[in-house]
Amino acid sequence: MSSQDFDVEFVDRDDREARFVVRNITPAFANGIRRAILVDVPTLSIDTVRFVENSSVMFDEQLGLRLGLVPLTTPEDYAAGEAVTLALDVEGPGTAYSGDLVSNDPEVEAADENIPIIELKDDQRLELEADAVMGHGRDHAKHQGGVAVGYRHLQRVHVVGDSPEYADDDPQMLRGVIEEDDELVPTDDFDNDLTTRYPGKEVEIEDVDGAFVFHVESDGSMPVEELVLRAVDTLVDRADELEQAVQL
Amino acid sequence: MMVPVRCFSCGTVVGEHWEAFKARAETHDGDEDPADVLDDLGVDRHCCRRMLIAHQDLVDVVSPYQ
Repeated sequence: MSSQDFDVEFVDRDDREARFVVRNITPAFANGIRRAILVDVPTLSIDTVRFVENSSVMFDEQLGLRLGLVPLTTPEDYAAGEAVTLALDVEGPGTAYSGDLVSNDPEVEAADENIPIIELKDDQRLELEADAVMGHGRDHAKHQGGVAVGYRHLQRVHVVGDSPEYADDDPQMLRGVIEEDDELVPTDDFDNDLTTRYPGKEVEIEDVDGAFVFHVESDGSMPVEELVLRAVDTLVDRADELEQAVQL
Repeated sequence: MMVPVRCFSCGTVVGEHWEAFKARAETHDGDEDPADVLDDLGVDRHCCRRMLIAHQDLVDVVSPYQ
């Protein structure tokens, strides 16, 4: 690995979705970050449900699975294995939503409030108590904080000449982010078609060494930035652990 | 029966958008093109789009047999 420092630059930045370029890392390290985001960052998710009354059309088990998939906001000070209790009490006619979940910690709530849990008809009622646990994505996908996490090479486009006079005007599609005179240009700025950006030119595309464009989405349990930072922290912890283990 | 909470393939929360989709899409109660509604809701991957497009609510169908 090169001795140069890492460099991070954001292309898009939002609480739920972000794109950023990391420079001076190896493909293996990029994949390490991706896996850490998915697998090593613990998030809260409903794990055990105690039903007081369920006269809805779905079985307890089905509702339990649906509740588990609801993303919960995860405050920073929770450690893996810690638990929170939530309650839900809805009477029909009407729909029980994820937003109806009440927790004993005001910082923990459903990240999305309009997820229908179950539609209740006349005289149907759902009352339950649930335990949300801090768990890892490696144990169950419901604990994954990141969604559709991926990366690709940053690319550079070189103009190598003019396109032949009677060439077909086929589009030349490229998806991702390109670097142009030290500036980052997402390809959707020009409809992912290089022929609109470089009309009448013949171009060659080259991967930029050691530069990766990450695309990270969060399920809402924490902002993307925090998710990535926590993931990198777990990598640091792992490296420390290894160092301790091999020391004589 | 009820709309899935998350996309089967990528894990994005899609249940959140179901009621808005149902109210606006012409295939359900609305009068807009379902593709435009999904674009507007920010459901842009085709794995997530099919979750809403292919969904059929069945609670009304099964509730008499409770």
